[in-house]
Formats: sequence, C-alpha cells, structure tokens
Amino acid sequence: MSADDIDALAGEYVLGTLEAREAAEVAARLATDPALAAAVAAWEARLAPLAGLSPEMAPPEDLWDRVEGALDASARPALRLIQGSAPAAWPRAVPVAKSRWLLRGWAMGSTALAAGLAAFLLVKPPEEPRLMTVLLSSSEQPAWLVEAAGGAISLASVNRAPVAPDRVLQLWALPQGATAPTSLGLLPADGRFTVTPRTIRPEPGMLIEISLEPPGGSPGPRPSGPVLFIGRLAAARGA
Amino acid sequence: MNDPAALLAAVAAGDRAALRALYDTEASRLFGIAMAILRDRDAAADAVQDCFVKIARRAGQFDPARGEARSWMGGIARYAALDLARARGREIPSDDPALGDTPVEPEALDRVLAGESGARLRACLALLDPKNREGIVLAFVHGLSHAQVAARLALPLGTVKSWIRRGLLDLRECLT
Repeated sequence: MSADDIDALAGEYVLGTLEAREAAEVAARLATDPALAAAVAAWEARLAPLAGLSPEMAPPEDLWDRVEGALDASARPALRLIQGSAPAAWPRAVPVAKSRWLLRGWAMGSTALAAGLAAFLLVKPPEEPRLMTVLLSSSEQPAWLVEAAGGAISLASVNRAPVAPDRVLQLWALPQGATAPTSLGLLPADGRFTVTPRTIRPEPGMLIEISLEPPGGSPGPRPSGPVLFIGRLAAARGA
Repeated sequence: MNDPAALLAAVAAGDRAALRALYDTEASRLFGIAMAILRDRDAAADAVQDCFVKIARRAGQFDPARGEARSWMGGIARYAALDLARARGREIPSDDPALGDTPVEPEALDRVLAGESGARLRACLALLDPKNREGIVLAFVHGLSHAQVAARLALPLGTVKSWIRRGLLDLRECLT
C-alpha cells in the first residue's frame, strides 16, 4: 500500500464509511501497524471538530445507573461466558458485546458453535467437571475454543486469522483475585495446544487471554503486545 | 476540578465520582453524537453506555499530549455508535428528512465549528467541491456508509468512493 492508500484507508475508517468487515480489519491492524495507527490518530484530530455538528440531546434518565451497573457487573467475579473483562491495567482488545443486536448475532451463532464444541469435547475422555470458554476476535467472531479439565487447558483454533511472520501468539491465564497473569506458553502454528500449568489450576472465572508478541514471547511477566482474544472459563453444564 | 483531562486522570485511578462528573458534563453531547448516527434513542443509549464503560476502562490510555479529552471521548462515542450501526446493517434510511438538518454549506459551518481547529477545518472544507464536502460531513455526522452517501447524493457508488477519498486527501493537504 502506498502512503496515500494507507492515509485514505485511515481517513475512511475515522469517517466511518467502511463496511463492517473492512472496519474490523483496520481495527485489528491498529495494534500491530504503527503507520496505520498514526494515520488514524491524525485523522481523528483533523475531523474531531465535526462532532460539534451533532446537537446535544438529553440521554434517558436511567443511563447513568446502567453505566454503573455495567461497570459493577464486569468487576464482579461472575461465571458468565465471554465476559471479556480484564483488570484496567491489562490491555484488552475484545469489545464487550453490550448491545442487544450484537447479542442477537451471538445467539444465532451459538448453535453452530455448540455443535463445534460438542465435537471438540467428544475427543476427550470424561474426567472431572469441565470448564470452557470461547475466545472472540475483535470482530466478535469465535476464534478459539478453550477447554479445561483435570488441570489441563486445551485450545483449538477456529476461523484462525494469519499471524505476521515476525509475531507469535502467547497464552496467558489470570486466576480470579490474582494481580498478574501467568504465561502458559506460545501457541503453535497449527492452532492446537494443550498445557498443564504447574503453578495455577484452571477454575471457573479464570481469564484466558492470547496476546500478540515478538518472537520468543513477551520479554516481561505480562503481555507486552495487544491482547487479541479474551474469555473467562465457565463450568460446562451437561458436558 | 472540571477539566476533562484531570477528570480522566482521576477515572484512570478508579475514581467513580470523577466518572460521574464527566457523565454530568459530557453525556448530552455524547448522546447527541450517537443519536445523529443511530436515530434511535434505545440504540443511542446502548452506545453511550458502552462509551462510558470504555472511558472508565481506557482512561489510563488517554494522552493529553496527543489530543483533547473531549475529542477523545467523542471519538469513543462515535466508534461505539458506528459499531452498532454496522451491527444493525445500517438500516437507517438515507432519505430520512432529518438528515437535511445538518449544515454542510460553508457559511453554516462557520456558525457551528468553533475554536482554532474548527476554523482551520471549515476553511479547508470550504475549498472542497460542494458534493465532496456534503459527502464527508454527512458521513462523519450521520455515520453513513459509502452506499448511503451515494444514495443521498444520487451518484454512482464508485464515484462517491473516489470522491470521498479525493476529498479526504485534499483536506489532509489543506490542513498540513
């Protein structure tokens, strides 16, 4: 892409004219493409005054209560699937599906997903209660199926997007109440991975995250790159 | 302490009262931004709720050196509303008569685009071809897709795509 192409794409992203798929692609690239991110930031600054053209309107009376409710709900250690909340200091890239439209889309997709999960689980011998979650991409598409049983955590990729050749995906777990995540290793290119962590045990409510990292993984004890996928382990009933 | 940047710093430290103060001063403006895009009070409320949750979570990422706090929050509200509009398939009809309320003529822009950055932007918008200017302003304010801008301006989709691209690049050059 030429410099003008990148700048025009960034301008159209900020303007809002891109279709959902194109916008999601740009949003996903922002974390790994500094030139594009700088171009988007410049366009946001250029066009920001246009926001003044929208007349102010009083929001519904109960909106503040809803904001507080949403913040409190995500701070609570709930066993909700795809909760997607993370400590404020931890970067997060997956938007939480708050709207009924997104949730409706999720509900429609979940039947096919459940079939996939069932097939995934059949290959495992029955053990103690299973935990599972589905990690969503930034465009809300199912990206990874995660299952935990008997102290082991297994991942399988679905709809996997290619990773840049100079980047790797690193798996992390954050038990409830912990202040720092634990690295569970780098994910292999074939998208299947099983690990039995020594220092932590999978439990309901544990956050599972995948970050984009330089070769060899994050140089520090936390993700150094963007968290691309996130989900919270929940008990799989009836499995 | 009513400075939005200072309030954001307090929000980043977990200060719920600072978030409430931001809500009190910004909610009507951000709801107006979302309403202009979604044209539905329930949907706009969902977008602004999402917006304030994101403001609470991302306040620590706001960098005063890189822009104004109110612009930063306005951007979060716009993206939240655009995401919802896309999730709904942008079913908002582009022939909605209320879309005509938004001023796109240079003299009308003079009245609403305040401040130094607003003055520069309106001067550069005034240099654009009128249809180009209208396409860019309507797309930004109402979250119209290329196809919706094309329908509204009664122009072929390909023409609108290339005009908006050309208009953006002209605008960038003028603002440099």
